[in-house]
Amino acid sequence: MSKVEEIAAAVENGKVKKVAGLVEEALAEGISATEILNVGMIGAMGVVGEKFKNNEIFVPEMLIAARAMKKGVEVLTPALKEAGSEPVGKLILGTVAGDLHDIGKNLVGMMIEGAGFNVIDLGVDVPADKFIECMKENPDCKIVALSALLTTTMPAIKNTIDAIVAAGLRDTVKIMIGGAPVTQAFADEVGADGYSEDAASAAELAKKLLAEVNG
Amino acid sequence: MDIQEELKVLDTLPGVTFVGHPAGAGPKYNTPLTPKENFRRFIKGEGYMWTPCSADFVTVMPQELADVVSRDFIFDKNVPENLIHAGGKDFFGIDWEYVPTAGGSMVRPGNPVLVEDVTEWKKTVKFPNFDEIDWEAIHERLKDVVEGDRVVVSWCFNGLFERLISFMEFENAALALIDEDEQDSVHELFSGLCDMYDQLFDKLHTYCNTDIIYFHDDWGSQRAPFFSRAVCEEMLVPYLKRVCESAHKRGMYIDFHSCGKIEALVPCMIEAGCDIWSGQPMNDRIMVLQNYGDKIKLNLAPPMRFAMPKNEEEAKELARKSQEDIDEFMGTYGPYMKSIVVSAMQAGNPKLYETVYTATREAFAS
Repeated sequence: MSKVEEIAAAVENGKVKKVAGLVEEALAEGISATEILNVGMIGAMGVVGEKFKNNEIFVPEMLIAARAMKKGVEVLTPALKEAGSEPVGKLILGTVAGDLHDIGKNLVGMMIEGAGFNVIDLGVDVPADKFIECMKENPDCKIVALSALLTTTMPAIKNTIDAIVAAGLRDTVKIMIGGAPVTQAFADEVGADGYSEDAASAAELAKKLLAEVNG
Repeated sequence: MDIQEELKVLDTLPGVTFVGHPAGAGPKYNTPLTPKENFRRFIKGEGYMWTPCSADFVTVMPQELADVVSRDFIFDKNVPENLIHAGGKDFFGIDWEYVPTAGGSMVRPGNPVLVEDVTEWKKTVKFPNFDEIDWEAIHERLKDVVEGDRVVVSWCFNGLFERLISFMEFENAALALIDEDEQDSVHELFSGLCDMYDQLFDKLHTYCNTDIIYFHDDWGSQRAPFFSRAVCEEMLVPYLKRVCESAHKRGMYIDFHSCGKIEALVPCMIEAGCDIWSGQPMNDRIMVLQNYGDKIKLNLAPPMRFAMPKNEEEAKELARKSQEDIDEFMGTYGPYMKSIVVSAMQAGNPKLYETVYTATREAFAS
């Protein structure tokens, strides 16, 4: 097994204590930081996401894999900066106004980070204005992800999208939505660009939307 | 057997209030067994006469219990206005916030957590002392409701995993279930919680005449369980088993309320000794009834219609829709009525009671 494969296995299996050391060893062997990140970590998180979607693993295993990746990235960051490596993209995430639920939103954030994105998490009960303010502060951000767990707060997704349109920012971003009561039909109705039903699919969707933006 | 005679209303039984509305007051029917006796026989599977249903149950949850107030589920008499939708601190001092859009309370994410590191939980977790509550006063207030023939249900917030989440937030709680550095401490904490539940059940049994503990612990999301069956068996089942034993040794039963698509974890509930599972509609309930109906009952009901008709026409329309719901419910679940209890939450629906009673009384007699 190559060192990068060892890193991938350690991330996949949530070996939090091992990953940092393996990354140091890989760098010492002269393996590029970009390869370690893309193959050893983002690739491993892709496998984790697939297993999660198929109910082969569950939330704790996904969380521990994300934690393992985070440990590895901490060691890798200086080398990535030195190599001029950038996150694949930037994404703004939040649970919409009136809704305090964060579990699904946090899992989505973790998996999207695992896919190589820089995620700006605005938290829960986020008013439309705050999303817009953050978009203005981050003009390089191409995706906004909105979450709602309640049927009663689903309208706040539409309100947020309407506010983004009214602010003249709709053409600058792709908008993805999710949450227990959210469906593709609802996404179509409120003018979102995409919907996903779980955290792993959300990471895939973010990559797909970014590819569309980047042409 | 004269079912019309048995469904004759002899009296109106007293109730309580729930979020300012009357709850639990209902008809006393002329049934050949008391609802309580029929329910006990039904769970044992011996000599029952009908499927326990709606008006057979009454729910009480005294306002003196901090968990009940903080979660906004007070079923009690003389509830002060300021306790309704109040939120506030639970048994452990954790602050819950009532969220109108959710119709319930939750801990605001990002609030300071009680347990930063589960291996050090003893430094910050202080168990409540239920002896400090005036249980005699609770009994005095509720005795006409709980001393009757109905099956008394008391909810227990929060269950083991939910409690762990409230202590340390979801991600940390989920991780602690599989992190070998944290697992021993989680075992110890769950064991302490079981001692607490045992004391609470004793009080509810003694002073509220409780027959069913409606034990609240969500195990899944809308698409899957939060954790694997193996993790559940290792980390939760031993303690849920103690919860069930605490109820059973006092002649009470456990209705395990657990949300999410968790049909795969039904064997864990059975292993623990749960008598009833209240799950959500996204589960394959027919599969559960067919495969496990002889080992655990399901708590089911037609959808509740909350509309308040403004005139006679609307009332007729509501009654028609409600009857359609009941017919659909019976069409789907009629063959499984030996493995179902019909929700206490529908106590105010006499048509449902009459339909279930009539169908099952006839079926079981033959």
